[in-house]
Amino acid sequence: MQTTRNLCNLTRYILRRTVATTANDTTGSAGGGAGGSEQTTHFGYQTVKESEKERKVHEVFQQVAQSYDLMNDAMSMGIHRVWKDIFVERLGPEHGMRLLDMAGGTGDISFRYLKYLAKMPNPKQRESHVTVSDINQHMLNVGEERARQLGLTADRLPNASIAWQCADAEKLPFKSDTYTAYTIAFGIRNCTHVDKVLSEAYRVLQPGGRFMCLEFSHLTNETMQWLYDQYSFQVIPPMGQLLAGQWHAYQYLVESIRRFPRQDEFKSMIERAGFSHVSYENLTFGVVSIHSGFKL
Amino acid sequence: MANVRCLQKVIRLQKFVLPINAQGCWLAISTVTPAAVLTLQQQRPVFLPSYAVGRSYSSSSDNLDEFRAREEQRERERDAAEQKAYKATMSDAGGGAGIGGGGAPPDEEQSAKQAKVDAIRTRILDAALLHVPELGWTKQAIVQGAEESGFPSVVHGMFPDGGFALVSHFNGKCNAELVQSLQKRTDNGQKEVGDPLDFLVQAVRQRLSMIEPFKKQWPQAMALIAQPANASTALAQVLTLVDDICYYSGDRSVDFGWYTRRVGLATIMKMTELYMLQDTSAGHAQTWEFLKNRMDEAVQLQMALAQTEGMTQTFQRSFNSAFITARNILGLGYSRH
Repeated sequence: MQTTRNLCNLTRYILRRTVATTANDTTGSAGGGAGGSEQTTHFGYQTVKESEKERKVHEVFQQVAQSYDLMNDAMSMGIHRVWKDIFVERLGPEHGMRLLDMAGGTGDISFRYLKYLAKMPNPKQRESHVTVSDINQHMLNVGEERARQLGLTADRLPNASIAWQCADAEKLPFKSDTYTAYTIAFGIRNCTHVDKVLSEAYRVLQPGGRFMCLEFSHLTNETMQWLYDQYSFQVIPPMGQLLAGQWHAYQYLVESIRRFPRQDEFKSMIERAGFSHVSYENLTFGVVSIHSGFKL
Repeated sequence: MANVRCLQKVIRLQKFVLPINAQGCWLAISTVTPAAVLTLQQQRPVFLPSYAVGRSYSSSSDNLDEFRAREEQRERERDAAEQKAYKATMSDAGGGAGIGGGGAPPDEEQSAKQAKVDAIRTRILDAALLHVPELGWTKQAIVQGAEESGFPSVVHGMFPDGGFALVSHFNGKCNAELVQSLQKRTDNGQKEVGDPLDFLVQAVRQRLSMIEPFKKQWPQAMALIAQPANASTALAQVLTLVDDICYYSGDRSVDFGWYTRRVGLATIMKMTELYMLQDTSAGHAQTWEFLKNRMDEAVQLQMALAQTEGMTQTFQRSFNSAFITARNILGLGYSRH
């Protein structure tokens, strides 16, 4: 049922699509007149100045915000929903939790979290909270609109509150020790300084709090990796052009996945940020992996 | 002897292969291998016919103790050497991958961190045990325990096994408690036990009495133990426990009876545990009666087997090798702590 509906949506979308609709707004972070000595970082396979990456990532997501969900369904053949379900299942929400859903623009994780809590008995009537945070206001707008449609607004949720906040994961505008869980799903890859993101996560978490990250990763099997590479480079960018009118945004997506550290390397990065009991779990042969750590 | 060498080589080889494949941290590996070496050590006498004395129950001779001490010493030395070699390879690998940088903490710091995590885990599980009578062996009990220990509920994610983590923690705790009391009673295994049979009965009884406070929830715990995913840890726990009980009862045997006694005792213990669940008699009097009867039967059976030893030798030998294989598979990843 779900698949047929998605397929219908897809065809409708292609038919409706004429040219790229989202305007190319370049008012992101100005980048400032930085000198030639500025450090460089990677943007997909390109090497760019650090200040530029933020702007470029901002542009990409601004362009894809509207078609984000559709593209996710098309590219992963719907499996991203399963990954997110498993992710929230592993988090195991409990009443009284305070979650910071970083890079959670369209609310995929937060909505699952709220629904999970709503299904659990709450004899003590404890208040739960989620702050959905994203660096891109366009993504948050899409998420807020979806929350309204789903009826997940503050006044209609029993014993749970939801807040929307535009924030940079490297400079969180939250006080220390305020959250019990920090999730970042398909977001950390796009940050310029992953180590800063991790240390900020460590800062805002309470002792005993949990850091969880869902991110594209590297396959453990060579053959599968080859297959996956073919799919990523040959199918995804054209698909992005066709459905969202964005070749380069999706080219960036697959390239940035290749540039992201491998599971073990990322695990030791999390450990270096101060987290204890760090572990990871591969899903779908390692296409994505769930990393988890605790602030103890 | 050639077999032993071959096994040792395989294990050593495994140690060098493991760091490349294993996803877990190196600490997990360092706990695995001593267990493997230990298993090997316990099996060694089986391969040596010169030590295969018949029934050696409570006939601990001096040279046997010396032999044991010497072997243990050698074992420690080899562990230390291998640990050192392993660390060397680890630091090489870290540098090679370019992730070590300079920020890699020294081993001591890492083990201190691990100790801290373990202490917190123990604290949470201990607190959770108090909620078992009301919530059962569940994640909910762990959540309650975590909140009482001053941690947010999400910390339950440290126990992905859920209820089984609680069960195995409880079993481990009870086993340690029992071993401690056995040590006290036998002066750390030095003092000879007057009546080994009675000693075994008392030890099993003492251990089973520990689950009395949780009797109502115990069927749930046994169901968790029986799940295939948990079976290996649970089985290793039981085998270690019966091994300890047998050791302190004065069993210094090095023949095949080493295995039959342990397996027999484990079977009797589990049977009695099951019997206890539906026993409604005052103070579980019927359970202890049941236990005594099964023990007597086991003794009779053992005597019958000993008398017909010559006839059953082929069977024993094949059973022997099967058992060694099984134990290597099951007990390998288990650390008592």
